[in-house]
Amino acid sequence: MTITRRHIGLGAAGLAGAAALPGTAEAQAPLNVGFILIGPVGDFGWSTMHDVGRRRMLEVLGNRVTATQVESVAPPDFDRVANQLARTGSRLIFTTSFSYFQPTVRVAPTLPNVMFENATGTSTLPNLSIYNARFYEGRYIQGVIAARKSRSKTIGYIASFPIPEVIHAINTVMRGAWSVDPQMRIRVVWVSAWFNPAREADAARALIDQGCDVVCQHTDSPAPLQLANERGVFGFGQASDMTRFAPRAHLTSSVNNWGDYYAERARAMLEGTWRPGDVWGGLNSGMFRLAPFTNMTPEETAEAERIRDAISSGRLHPFDGPIVRQDGTEVIPAGQRLTDDQIRAQNYFYRGIDVAMP
Amino acid sequence: MTLLEAILLTVMTASTPLLIAAIGELVAERAGVLNLGVEGMMIMGAAAGIAVAITTGSSAAGVAAAILAGMALAAVFALLVLGLATNQVAAGLALAIFGLGLSGVLGAPFVGVPRAGIGKIEVPFLSDIPFLGAVLFRQDPFVYASFALVIGVAWFLGRTRAGLVLRACGENAAAAHALGYKVLRIRFLALLFGGGCAGLAGAYLSLVLTPFWTSGMTSGRGWIALAIVVFASWMPWRAVAGAYLFGGVTILQLHAQSAGVPVPPQAMAALPYLITILALVLIMRARSGGSTAPAGLGRPFVPDR
Repeated sequence: MTITRRHIGLGAAGLAGAAALPGTAEAQAPLNVGFILIGPVGDFGWSTMHDVGRRRMLEVLGNRVTATQVESVAPPDFDRVANQLARTGSRLIFTTSFSYFQPTVRVAPTLPNVMFENATGTSTLPNLSIYNARFYEGRYIQGVIAARKSRSKTIGYIASFPIPEVIHAINTVMRGAWSVDPQMRIRVVWVSAWFNPAREADAARALIDQGCDVVCQHTDSPAPLQLANERGVFGFGQASDMTRFAPRAHLTSSVNNWGDYYAERARAMLEGTWRPGDVWGGLNSGMFRLAPFTNMTPEETAEAERIRDAISSGRLHPFDGPIVRQDGTEVIPAGQRLTDDQIRAQNYFYRGIDVAMP
Repeated sequence: MTLLEAILLTVMTASTPLLIAAIGELVAERAGVLNLGVEGMMIMGAAAGIAVAITTGSSAAGVAAAILAGMALAAVFALLVLGLATNQVAAGLALAIFGLGLSGVLGAPFVGVPRAGIGKIEVPFLSDIPFLGAVLFRQDPFVYASFALVIGVAWFLGRTRAGLVLRACGENAAAAHALGYKVLRIRFLALLFGGGCAGLAGAYLSLVLTPFWTSGMTSGRGWIALAIVVFASWMPWRAVAGAYLFGGVTILQLHAQSAGVPVPPQAMAALPYLITILALVLIMRARSGGSTAPAGLGRPFVPDR
């Protein structure tokens, strides 16, 4: 018999149909988990770490799960890819970018038998969970280290898009830096891309040429850090441990770890206990960690470790009041703390940041 | 070094890959073949360049491999559009996608392997000229190569008999054929040249600008190079203007942001495209007469035997 696309389609539909029947599928068909990535698996940053997480999930759950991954999916192609995954039997789909949040919200109700999980989204649905890590905790520590390292008192920040996640990251870098030295200033360049190595490097060049001597990045390639190394200034790695790209410039990286979460959620699907959730894991959750501190004096390292431990144990919180907006209006007074929803909705810079909000 | 010098240096490095790829494509299009696969050839050059450079430890070997990789992909394209006379647009698009995919496979073992970039070469004496010396004569070899390429191509197309024959193939292949020129062979060589240039431009990205490999690292520069050829109305010197205009605006908007100029970054990001389109419109308005595209561009030619 010749196998045609039609047969494959029928087979996949059959599989999906069988899987949708509660109780009958668990024994035979493994759960297929779909992954949609915003960048290439080899970006050595954000998407790489989701791929590492996928492999960790397969390792933990063995032959009970299979995975289908589609990389470098532009947001306009999202619907097509998500539908394709659903058609070919994925019952749990991780959509791993904030840029996919709105598309996921749109697609999820049309595929009620498929459970979605969006990384860094802001609201849930009956079949949509959101998950994220409190990367801002690491940003606060970056700010502290930057203030110790900078001689020009100016941090350069390579940002992707003006979304709350990026905005509150800039705010926390400044809070960390001001906790050491209120003279610290920041320059921000938006490159309008998550991944465009040469443009990220050009942005780093522009910032360094204008006097920044510590570079923070909220984009996914190691290019800015590598350029910092070439120019003899300091920088931080993004998403994975980027020490080797900048042996003289690297201070620390925030290293993402999604694998345990992916395994836990896939197991919940297998056991029928999956419920829409909202997970936002901090340093103490293991969802991310800081790579070993490099190019720092023992005193600087000790200070950074002390602050890391204080944040991890909850003694120090980057969003304690008073918090005042750039335009002078007060968000919360001293003694209060921003709620998670307030952090997630942050669309203003703190007072003292003299960069215009786009 | 002053800030202005620093900006100009960065503009040159940002513009060079665009210029190299554009000048190669320009020659192919003047011969009458539209190769939309520049992005694919470019990224194959980037992948092959860093792969060979890391494996052999020699940057020169990496550059040679990049040029050969670009040429190899162009040869595949030539087989399709010259040998089989397939649709050039479809084959070119397929080539771009094919190159992106294949480069990911080829580069996979080299993801995350760091490497020192190719350094700059200072031209003795000339680099000591105030301002101009620092900008023009303290550059990496690729920048010099890009200017040599432009001068060479301009001279070849405009001043040599072989260049005239190549242009004839692009304007009217049947006439060139009737005069006894081997149209397909000439077009094949032009395509190889275009592929080699695209590969070289890719090597510039992976060996100089951001010396590491990640898949998709060309980020659409091949498409921009295609647009620059149109912008240049198929003239080599105007390609320099196009590449530097685009590269210049890209870098200036980054500097403007860093300096705190209060313009929305989305508008800033669109600026290079807007200015390029604007310049194109102005050029078109200023010129009398119709389009300057080679008359036979994109038309397959099948010699009668």
